[in-house]
Amino acid sequence: MSRVTAADRVRRVLAVVPWIVANPGERVADVAQRFGMTEETLLADLGVIYMVGLPPYSPDALVDVQIDDEGRVTIRLADFFARPLRLTPSQGLALLASSDGLLSVPGTDQSGALARALNKLEATLGLVRDETVDVHLGTAEESLLERLRTAAASAVEVEMRYYSYGRDEYTTRVVAPWRIFADSGNWYLHGWCRQADGERIFRVDRIENLNELSAQKSQDSPSGVQDSVQWPTDRLSIFHPQAGAPRITLLLAPEAQWVTEAYPCENVVKRSDGQLEATLVISALPWLERLLVRLGPAATVLSNEELPNAETLASDSAKRILQRYR
Amino acid sequence: MSTNKLERLLNLTAVLLDTTRPLAAEELRQKVEGYPPPGTAFHRAFERDKDDLRVLGVPLTVEKVPATDPPVDGYRIDHDDYYLPDPGLAPDELAALHLASLTVRLDGLGDQEALWKLGGMSVGDGETPAVAADTDVVNGVVANIPTDPSLVVLFQAISEKRVVEFVYRDQPRTVDPWRLDFHRGRWYLTGYDRVREDERNFRLDRFESLVTIIDAKVENQQTSAGAAGPIQPWLVGDESPTVAKLLVDADRVAMAARQLGSDISRHEQADGSAVFDVPVVNLSAFRTFVLGFLEYAELLEPAEWRQQIVGWLEDIERGSNGEALR
Repeated sequence: MSRVTAADRVRRVLAVVPWIVANPGERVADVAQRFGMTEETLLADLGVIYMVGLPPYSPDALVDVQIDDEGRVTIRLADFFARPLRLTPSQGLALLASSDGLLSVPGTDQSGALARALNKLEATLGLVRDETVDVHLGTAEESLLERLRTAAASAVEVEMRYYSYGRDEYTTRVVAPWRIFADSGNWYLHGWCRQADGERIFRVDRIENLNELSAQKSQDSPSGVQDSVQWPTDRLSIFHPQAGAPRITLLLAPEAQWVTEAYPCENVVKRSDGQLEATLVISALPWLERLLVRLGPAATVLSNEELPNAETLASDSAKRILQRYR
Repeated sequence: MSTNKLERLLNLTAVLLDTTRPLAAEELRQKVEGYPPPGTAFHRAFERDKDDLRVLGVPLTVEKVPATDPPVDGYRIDHDDYYLPDPGLAPDELAALHLASLTVRLDGLGDQEALWKLGGMSVGDGETPAVAADTDVVNGVVANIPTDPSLVVLFQAISEKRVVEFVYRDQPRTVDPWRLDFHRGRWYLTGYDRVREDERNFRLDRFESLVTIIDAKVENQQTSAGAAGPIQPWLVGDESPTVAKLLVDADRVAMAARQLGSDISRHEQADGSAVFDVPVVNLSAFRTFVLGFLEYAELLEPAEWRQQIVGWLEDIERGSNGEALR
């Protein structure tokens, strides 16, 4: 069990007490549920607030907590806690960015409850409406995103032309879509790929010529996969390196260090001269070739035992591109 | 966890909210139960309590106690700084905010306390919150937004309408901050650069120092109305843009159009290829984009930039024989 500090409990009391003050006579069980805590925890907090007040701490200067026979709670004489504490900057930012991000999803009701909540929140935080935080979860054609979401919701398989960046090739795929999600600025389709006969994740902005195969019944998704609220809270894992995939170690100058943020790396070591040594898992050679051409002199191949052609990959690619320019 | 400590912090907060004049430490010791007698032990306990309150976001006002000589620090909590104005959220609006914070997550930001302050969750059927009409729209949507160390302090500066200082591209900057945008997986700050006397975009992951909020109010108001479109990495910089002509092969035109955005004009050729007119400020960012197309795209103009790309590729081509890539 994690250690709950006095500060954590103060946080909770300062947020929950004002609500009970403003909503007298609610059941203890309902209040506990509303604030996501057990009844025992709530009762323990109420036991403490009972001892709080102003000097001289006579009964008429102490907070008055009453719980009636039906378990309904009322708090009086707590004027100083009549309103909760303001949102901290990080709390305000998180709420605003989440709401604005969700509103950027095509199909969201632009004048619905979320839009109204966002406007009220901005006003409360003293911010100019719509002009402080702007979140675009990903770049994808709105109609395509909406069709994919509809297909996922109604369990209809789709056929599509897909551009594989890693292999630099187009393929036609039939996919049973499970869910659509955004991570770090891109939209992804997660589902079952008939061609690969396996679970795959596709970038939505690389999908073309989408066709809903209405006659098909979609492959069942793993249980719970459709339920957004139940989805795991940790970072979504997009890239699963295949066991035994080759590795390459690169020396990255400061201007190339975005690589370690953009791609999964193993063993990132910072050198005293500010350069980074990073080992990358290589899923496909064209991907590496392209990375090396883009990085140019900012990256040096340090070890490539598993990829004997690595040094000539970049130069061969540069040669092919140069043919266009000569 | 000590209940005494919890009670003392709550009593201290209540007394500081109740007082209309600054109270000296010794007065607080007498008014608030649970402090040790005067001396080192009290001093230590009081300092710790002040730190705890600051961490909780309780805004302490420190002023000199009137008519003290030598002057003595006094403490109180300003009601306007402490109390969250009631945003007046309807139950469905609160539920929508809850849903947004569950489905669109900011790495490391956002916590339960923010929703507690706004009134907890609307109580539904057991475990899951009651989420009204928006459920269908967001069904299956989960998004993850990376954050940046400068993000919260910049948001705080925008909220407080105060000027910030930081180092960017080797230059110290003094900026009236206006807006934070998350586009294409990155956070940007838009504001008025006081040294350059113009509006500028800054990429947060390129900041070269921490952000300092200085004691100056924002004077230059946002000129461009509302959110601009997505910010392309090659548009970020201090210079004015140059139009680059990019020829893209037929097979890649659709992809290029999606990545460049709909406001970029293009001229279709007879063979299905197209020439895009792309405004560019930062050539190295644009080169990275162009080389991502490998041999399926070609920078036509300006001639000087074309020559720079050729030089870049020739260096890589030579690298295979020499040692540049080893």
